[in-house]
Amino acid sequence: MAPQVRRAFVAATAALLPTLLHAQLGVQRERNVPDAYAITGARIVPVSGPVIERGTIVIRNGVIAAVGATVAVPADARAVDGAGLTVYPGFIDAYGSIGIPAPAANAAGQGGRGGGGGGLGAPVPTAGPSGSAPNSAHPIGQQPELSVLDFIKPDPEALAGPQSAGITAALSAPATGIFMGRSAVINLSGANAQEMLVKSPVALHIGFTPLRAGGYPNSLMGVFSVLRQTLLDAQRYGEMEAAYARNPRGMRRPDNDPSLAALLPALARQMPVVFLASSQREIERALDLAKEFNLKPIIAGGAEAHLVADRLKAESVPVLLTVNFPRRPVNESPDADPEPLRVLRQRVDAPKNPAKLAQAGVRFAFESGGVANWSDYLTNISSAVSNGLASDQALRAMTIVPAELFGVSDRLGTIETGKIANLTISRGDLFTGGRVTQLFIDGRPFEARAPATAAAAGSMAGGTWTLTVTLEEGEKPVTVSLQQESDRLRGTLQGALGSAQISGGSVTAAGEMRFTTTVTMQSSSEEATFAGTITGNSMRGTVQIVGHPQGTFVGTRPAGGDAPPQGGRRRPPPQ
Amino acid sequence: MKRLLLAAVALSAATLGAQQAPRAAAGRATAAATLIKNATVLTVTKGRLENTDVLLQNGKIAQIGKNLAAPAGAQVIDATGKFLMPGIIDPHSHSMSDAINEGSLSVTSMVRITDVLNPTAISIYRELAGGVTTVNILHGSANTIGGQNATVKLKYGRPVAEMMFPGAPPGIKFALGENVTQKNRATVAIPGQPAPARRYPTSRMGQEEVLRDAFTRARDYKAGWDDYKAKVAKGEKGLVAPRRDLELEPLVEVLEGKRLVHAHSYRSDEMLMLLNLAKEFGFTVKTLQHGLDGYKIASEIAQAGTGLSSFADDWSYKIEAYDAIPYNVAILMRHGVVATINSDSDERARRLNIDAAKLIRYGGLTEDEALKTITYNGALQLGVQDKVGSIEVGKDADVVIWSGDPLSVYSSAETTFIDGDIFFDKKKDLEKRQAMAKERADLEQAERPVRATRTQIPNEDDR
Amino acid sequence: MRGAMVLASTAASVAVSLAVSLPLHAQLGTFNPRPGAQGTFAITHGRVVTAAGPDIPNGTVIISAGKITAVGATVAVPAGAQVIDATGLVVYPGMIDGGTTLGLNEIPQGANATVDVNETGSFNPNVQAFYGINPHSAHVGVTRVVGITTVVSRPTGGILSGQAALINLAGDTPPQMAINPKLALVIELPRSGFGGRGFAAFLAQQQGGSTADANRTRQRQVDSLKQMLHDAEAYGKALDAYGKDKTLPRPAHDVVLAALLPALRGEMPVMFPADAASDIRAAVAFAEEVHVKPIIVGGRDAVAVAPYLKQHNVPVLVTSVLDLPAREDDPYDQNYSIPAKLSQAGVKFAISAGENSADSRNLPYVAGMAAAYGLSKDEALRAVTLYPAQLFGVADKLGSIEVGKMANIVVTTGDLLEAKTDTKYLFIDGRPIPLSTKHTELNAMFEKRP
Repeated sequence: MAPQVRRAFVAATAALLPTLLHAQLGVQRERNVPDAYAITGARIVPVSGPVIERGTIVIRNGVIAAVGATVAVPADARAVDGAGLTVYPGFIDAYGSIGIPAPAANAAGQGGRGGGGGGLGAPVPTAGPSGSAPNSAHPIGQQPELSVLDFIKPDPEALAGPQSAGITAALSAPATGIFMGRSAVINLSGANAQEMLVKSPVALHIGFTPLRAGGYPNSLMGVFSVLRQTLLDAQRYGEMEAAYARNPRGMRRPDNDPSLAALLPALARQMPVVFLASSQREIERALDLAKEFNLKPIIAGGAEAHLVADRLKAESVPVLLTVNFPRRPVNESPDADPEPLRVLRQRVDAPKNPAKLAQAGVRFAFESGGVANWSDYLTNISSAVSNGLASDQALRAMTIVPAELFGVSDRLGTIETGKIANLTISRGDLFTGGRVTQLFIDGRPFEARAPATAAAAGSMAGGTWTLTVTLEEGEKPVTVSLQQESDRLRGTLQGALGSAQISGGSVTAAGEMRFTTTVTMQSSSEEATFAGTITGNSMRGTVQIVGHPQGTFVGTRPAGGDAPPQGGRRRPPPQ
Repeated sequence: MKRLLLAAVALSAATLGAQQAPRAAAGRATAAATLIKNATVLTVTKGRLENTDVLLQNGKIAQIGKNLAAPAGAQVIDATGKFLMPGIIDPHSHSMSDAINEGSLSVTSMVRITDVLNPTAISIYRELAGGVTTVNILHGSANTIGGQNATVKLKYGRPVAEMMFPGAPPGIKFALGENVTQKNRATVAIPGQPAPARRYPTSRMGQEEVLRDAFTRARDYKAGWDDYKAKVAKGEKGLVAPRRDLELEPLVEVLEGKRLVHAHSYRSDEMLMLLNLAKEFGFTVKTLQHGLDGYKIASEIAQAGTGLSSFADDWSYKIEAYDAIPYNVAILMRHGVVATINSDSDERARRLNIDAAKLIRYGGLTEDEALKTITYNGALQLGVQDKVGSIEVGKDADVVIWSGDPLSVYSSAETTFIDGDIFFDKKKDLEKRQAMAKERADLEQAERPVRATRTQIPNEDDR
Repeated sequence: MRGAMVLASTAASVAVSLAVSLPLHAQLGTFNPRPGAQGTFAITHGRVVTAAGPDIPNGTVIISAGKITAVGATVAVPAGAQVIDATGLVVYPGMIDGGTTLGLNEIPQGANATVDVNETGSFNPNVQAFYGINPHSAHVGVTRVVGITTVVSRPTGGILSGQAALINLAGDTPPQMAINPKLALVIELPRSGFGGRGFAAFLAQQQGGSTADANRTRQRQVDSLKQMLHDAEAYGKALDAYGKDKTLPRPAHDVVLAALLPALRGEMPVMFPADAASDIRAAVAFAEEVHVKPIIVGGRDAVAVAPYLKQHNVPVLVTSVLDLPAREDDPYDQNYSIPAKLSQAGVKFAISAGENSADSRNLPYVAGMAAAYGLSKDEALRAVTLYPAQLFGVADKLGSIEVGKMANIVVTTGDLLEAKTDTKYLFIDGRPIPLSTKHTELNAMFEKRP
């Protein structure tokens, strides 16, 4: 686009920015703005068919009215000169909590995760009444009837982050809990949740993170028992309801239980179940549970999905694959124990794994996975492409595959006449250095601009920590390497308490963290639960070991956060 | 093709070591035959056989004898001057588990260690290097009735499903004493969270009550199901089955003798309480775990038909352990109790052979008796005595070649077989170290293309 | 309750005890039977492993008035000597564990009142383990019957933890047990990972700081320790000067600074607990800077800095042989092979079973494990006899069977380091020691219970 044309585009769209509209909603009724657009002379990648090297897309009333090389531009349409631009179907972030206001972060913390995505927070059970279903007989974190739709609040500033990465729609799900609730596909614009909504409910979401505050279940084992018992109870609830419906006479009416009722579509395989699972063993556990209850599973996260590729393929289980590749810390602690090879390998291999999954024939869609900077989304996908993933496969994983998985491929995922006019427009090829310049969401134009809030430097908990653990046996220096994915923590403990992997880890945006690991002292192996608070680059808290008085820990990590994604150049922020 | 596959299996098992072995190919071929020549064979159940050959074939011990002929394609290992013993069985382990305690409630019989096994835990490999092949992974001792245990073969590098001991009877962990009463636990508030409340029970009195209550409920639960099944059998229609209760189901299995109880206990009075309660409810406690004061009631334990798994000589680490004596196991065995020693530790598990030797000093066990405490008796306690625990034809090929007598501190495990496959080999391990060093250098290089000139690797002697 | 039990079991324990006529009665309130009197004893026809020179296949050892007075194949038995026929038995010097907290630490978990291993505060050079040792600890008897006759018991924690004592495991009182009540100073430098009790407490108050901030705090603590040592040096200088010239102002006495003088004058070694390579280097550098004689205690990563240790002639008391390798990728035998690798590298070392009292009796098997992973059997034996004596500068008195040394001797059924080997006779300071313990008494009480 020639400079003057580009300026014209900006001028044309700036007046229409929904941001401004929303700001005025309270005082002014919405204007009747003409809604016909024609993008002309652009390279069009419809995904549903061959690339149109030079074509036109006509948008009217929020949907694609026409697309093709020889489409006429309606006289009333606003023209957008697409010369030099490539138009893709609007990207769909296949998993996250976009649209859900983040809980207030600890002021002293690092600003939480997500850099403007807003969304990795969630209906945190402790954050307020929004995380709890009214009148549920089940505890917080075990209420599958929760609908993400009840928590979505459009915040243009927060949505600017994913928009800047070209994301026009997303699967948004509650971010915490065991039975976390039900997700929705939303478009990333709208005056309210109802306007944003594309489809709800989409899937039931299940996570394996134990409750942070004690209480049953406070272990990974307990999580599985809760899952099992609740699913069994739901099966029986369905039978009781059915029996009562057949003939209520003489039978005590079953207690109404919306939580159990919400599981019935999943048990009937009418609704997919998304399991948050990163490691090989988490994925296998999810698949085992799905098999036990004949559920229709989808794996979300899937950092080690390539290690389970055969089984995923055989059982036709799709993966919502994280593009939040682990990063090494900028500064190393001189006193820290070296990272295990396993961790190094995970980091170096992360960009290679999507290609492996593709090669194995596993269906997958990309999800942003709580990237620290929204610019990482495309950088990391590009890195996957340069590590062997075919670019058309990458594109499908951002468009049509998630649309199909979520049952909205009749509306989203390709550039076809009649579909929702969600478009992502780039200058240059996306996977080889191009960048997103503008988008259409629900037929309205948006500029891809850097989020107003600066991205956090690194994650809340990720990095190499040197800790002193004070137990009855004395002080034990250890190194704890943590990797954070959304609110979940993985990692390793090494040093004076032996070496072991950590599990059941989680951290809130406010820095409250918890994990368990095995410690060995004086020839005895014990399970230790670390719970505490992260403030900036220090953490402290308590260590609970069965049979021992409570211990404490304090620790620090080097300042500087994580390094930029490796294997790809740092993208300049749009504009 | 088959050869290639076999080679791959052997390689992945023996050389990968600390690395995570690739996921096993479906339909794994059974190991090639292995003929171990001219070893001193400690059969455990049938004495010591000098200069004897043992043939491992199809995952089993196929032949034991002199001058055995190697089948075609078998690998032959000259074990002259070396000892062959059954793989060590550790009846009390918490290795390779992503969670150990569900300590929130007093009864957590619904939780299962099987759900949370971590086949990549490095502790597995280190235990293999100590000659251990089978472990009983128990729930912790946080509560009176803990979770369900997992009997596992340490097939490091294989998926969890292949590590589960085929046919091992299910079990459950109970716990008594001060870990359960939490007398030793401070109730300091975690920042930002309310101070934890005391969990019932906080005394040994309450522990008996929790058990009695749980088994009373289990009995009622079983009765409810029995009624239902009777009605169904009579052809009644339109019945809705009783609720399945995952807490009580395993306790019903205990009552029916289908699930083994392994009970953490220290003081003799609490052990006796449990044995009597079990008798009242009609089941047998399979093992007392730790049971450090068991020697004070050896006759009662023997009479109950209960086994005991203890430490060889650990003591005095807490008040409950202050009367522990290293003669415990010997006294129990002399009274007819099936006794074992265990590790309860990723560390100690690596040297159970030395712990067994201590029992010769402290209680005068014979060498075979000492070996039984880490092999055959463990198999009995886990209900897998038909498959492992001794070197006998037809048993699983879970055997270990030692550099010398395993009851000598100067000996070390050299090659560890499970189901005929090698999972630890001392020589291969040395080769693996070089490969790991190279891989680390490569990975660090791959990660730091920019900093290649200013490498971050500290002085070589700092690592 | 406990007292009644002991009395009841005393009679039974006699049978298990020494064949030599000795005062066997365990005292009320102690599990450790009292040693017999010093006298003249001849241990004959045993295989004598001296740890100093070649073994004597059929030798005699003469003990008189607490000392070894003769050793050899052709030694005459003095008139009136009590003769112990050691035919088929092996005679060894008593083992020494240089890294225990024996007598200070009875039940480490959940029984605080039985634990006296550390003092509050960070700088306690004047605190002496000697004053916390309970001679009637059940660990004393249990440990010595394995053949461990002597231990270093040390305070832990803080930065200047205090002074370690060298004690024999026999005697009714600490003075009777002590060989050197003020053997060594213990300094726990703030470590990587920021150990050091004061440090953790200090760090806990800091919020938000990074590793660099913590390192600065750590450096400040090391600086204040150095300052204290420099102050002590000045204090010593002033005392000396005043001793020579009474016209100078009389220095005010300071027990804390005074306690540091022997170490600063090189009369007392300093034990530096250190495991990480960087901590070991830091300890050596620190010791050289303040002119004290270091012994590294722990030594998990000592192999990685072996050339440095050899170059600086710093010995290591290895306590970590049976610890799990600290890092996931460490070889499985990382810790087992530490002594062998130090030996190969020419670094002086000894082996300890570490701080936990219940583990002390396993010292021989710890050395045995080192031997299973590369250390020669002879070296393994010396690592728990002669070498610890050398490390602490007491090899003139202890550590081997040589004429003139203290008669700490154990007579066994076989190889001293083998777990199945049993002890037949035990002498500490030339006194015969009954072999009953808390454990043998409980065994005797219950083994025949129907």
